[in-house]
Amino acid sequence: MAGYLARRFLQMFLVALVAAICAYGMLYLVPGGPIDQLLAERQNAGQNRISEDDIRRVRERFELDIYLPFRFTRWLIGWPAGPLPGGLGADWQVGCAVPGQVRLRYPDGRVEVVEEGCEVPVTMADLEGRKVSRGIVFGDFGISQVMLRGRPVTDLIMTRLPYTLYLMGASILLSILIAVPIGVYSAVRQYSRFDYIMTTLAFIGASLPSFVFGIFAILLFSVLAKNAGLPYLPPGDAVGVRDYTVPLLGTVEAGSFLDRFLRFLMPCGVLTFINIAGWSRFVRGSMLEVLSLDYVRTARAKGVAERVVILKHALRNSLIPFVTLLAGILVALFSGALITETVFNWPGIGRLFIDALGRNDYNVVMALLIINVVLLLIGILITDILYTVVDPRIRLT
Amino acid sequence: MATSTTAVPLEEAAPRRSEGQWAIVFRRFRRHRLAMFCVGLLTVLLLLSALAPLIAPYPRDEPNLGGRFLTPMGVDADGGVHVLGTDHLGRDYATRLLYASRVSLGTAFLATAVASTIGILLGMLAGYFGGWVDTLISRFLEIVATFPTLLLLLILASILVQNINAIPIPDWLASFLAFMFAVSEREARIIIAVIMVLAFFGWTGTARLMRGMVLSVRENVYIESARALGASNARILFRHVFPNALPPMIVDFTLGVNGTLVAESALSFLGFGIQDPTPTWGNMLGYAQSYMFQYPWMPLIPALPILIASIAINYIGDGLRDALDPRQRG
Repeated sequence: MAGYLARRFLQMFLVALVAAICAYGMLYLVPGGPIDQLLAERQNAGQNRISEDDIRRVRERFELDIYLPFRFTRWLIGWPAGPLPGGLGADWQVGCAVPGQVRLRYPDGRVEVVEEGCEVPVTMADLEGRKVSRGIVFGDFGISQVMLRGRPVTDLIMTRLPYTLYLMGASILLSILIAVPIGVYSAVRQYSRFDYIMTTLAFIGASLPSFVFGIFAILLFSVLAKNAGLPYLPPGDAVGVRDYTVPLLGTVEAGSFLDRFLRFLMPCGVLTFINIAGWSRFVRGSMLEVLSLDYVRTARAKGVAERVVILKHALRNSLIPFVTLLAGILVALFSGALITETVFNWPGIGRLFIDALGRNDYNVVMALLIINVVLLLIGILITDILYTVVDPRIRLT
Repeated sequence: MATSTTAVPLEEAAPRRSEGQWAIVFRRFRRHRLAMFCVGLLTVLLLLSALAPLIAPYPRDEPNLGGRFLTPMGVDADGGVHVLGTDHLGRDYATRLLYASRVSLGTAFLATAVASTIGILLGMLAGYFGGWVDTLISRFLEIVATFPTLLLLLILASILVQNINAIPIPDWLASFLAFMFAVSEREARIIIAVIMVLAFFGWTGTARLMRGMVLSVRENVYIESARALGASNARILFRHVFPNALPPMIVDFTLGVNGTLVAESALSFLGFGIQDPTPTWGNMLGYAQSYMFQYPWMPLIPALPILIASIAINYIGDGLRDALDPRQRG
């Protein structure tokens, strides 16, 4: 077991490292980046024009003047933070603060300025007094580059995490509570009308993209209900900014419990419906399998009440494959539902990722990605281990 | 009680001319009425998108600021009737929807075709040769499969689309796709980038399935006899292994088209995929969302085709699965 775990952890570490290198490389190797917005502002002449020096300072703060491999290791483990022990390598060039410019004069008279070489290099000694993150491996995700410029990424994640946790937590709990009975009943009454209706609904639920479903929900429960003068649900956000009046409920105070609850209903409903569509089929399938097994027939033959056969003999065993879904749940709890959160403007982790990506806040993007990969890997490991617990015939080797 | 013997006409008793394999599949598929209906629906959608440049009543991108947000059947200032109304720039919605079908369906089919080809080839190699080839491909597959697909899909799409000029796409490919999708060459490059991204994350399932199929098919006696007759590896792979491993791949491809269609729509909906002015169902829906409070019909128009196509493709896949299953008789 110890050897198995050690090998698994090594494997997990390698996968996470590969994902980190790929994503980091992709983000930084292409043109454009966190300071695009600043550079664009620079184009506007004006009193508060950002100077060459400002740009240089910002580049230094965000480590953009350090070459990519060193930037990556500094981000990963906070090294190199200065010259090696014994002052070794103090004059090694690890970056470039001001790129050199060469004026190319073409025969036809055109002049082009291209960046070539380096005018002011950054050496290991220059890294000495600089602020450096402790490294993502040690739990320091660095600083946000655009969204909360200069503040730690952790702050940003911490303000969004509660919203995702309670949205996902509630919808996952609800889904399990509803999907399991539906699945069991469909299996027990296989090919009944109930089973057919549920099969069709699950089929539609599984093929319906979540954003289409979300938009239909907003259309029905917010727009059309409001236009028809019926009680309606607010279409987005987690907390309102102004009071509003809903028929039958009266004035809803912004930020009150009722306001939060009304706004919570739709995203939670959409997520729950989608989960139920998948999970009820899952429970139905494994329940059908178990119901045809010998020990169920034996129990029935002994004269055990049908209720007890289904709930005690069959259901408990049919839920064993359910643990495979746990890996997904762990990730979902943290990273939220990207698309649903965006449709409903829900300020959770999923939308944070979309916003960060849209605004080139690479440190935030990387932090969320890494947390996601790690949680996914841990989820898979837990699933594998849980399997040996619920089914002793399986052995990890 | 008298026993009676019934005379059997000779023609009936004689074995019927045996049907080909695909004729049986087709006959079984036709019995799945819902799937047949869905084939009809999808054919209509495909025909409409194929004929888009011919039947579209207006130019695709021409804004008409005098006639923005027209209701379906609305009439603009110049007296032109817009069957499905106009969008936020006054562009004819019906026209854009027709072109969007072409882009959305075409992207989904192409991306799935690329992904399936990669998946089938790698799966075949891994399953047939085994050994270090299998180890290498399977490990790579495992790594790609543990990536958080949606996040990387978004990252990759966003950087590729932002830097579209930096990707070396051969001109002939761009102009061919521009012709296929009835878009400009620049737009075609973005579509190619999106197709590449979708294909990169789409092949893992197919590869795993194909590997499993090949592992079981290659144990058959006819493979052994083929080898005994001196057939080369390539001949065995493509002439004997591939056709026998094909049926589940067809179902996988069908369901894959749905997956890519939804993924592309989601990317474009979020603003990271194919961008305006190229219309796709996803980005039309994305824009419509911002105006749905004043103009509630707007999101319905691009949302319904996504819904119809997605459910239709799923039902067709379902019907194909039943028709191709050799355990089912009839």
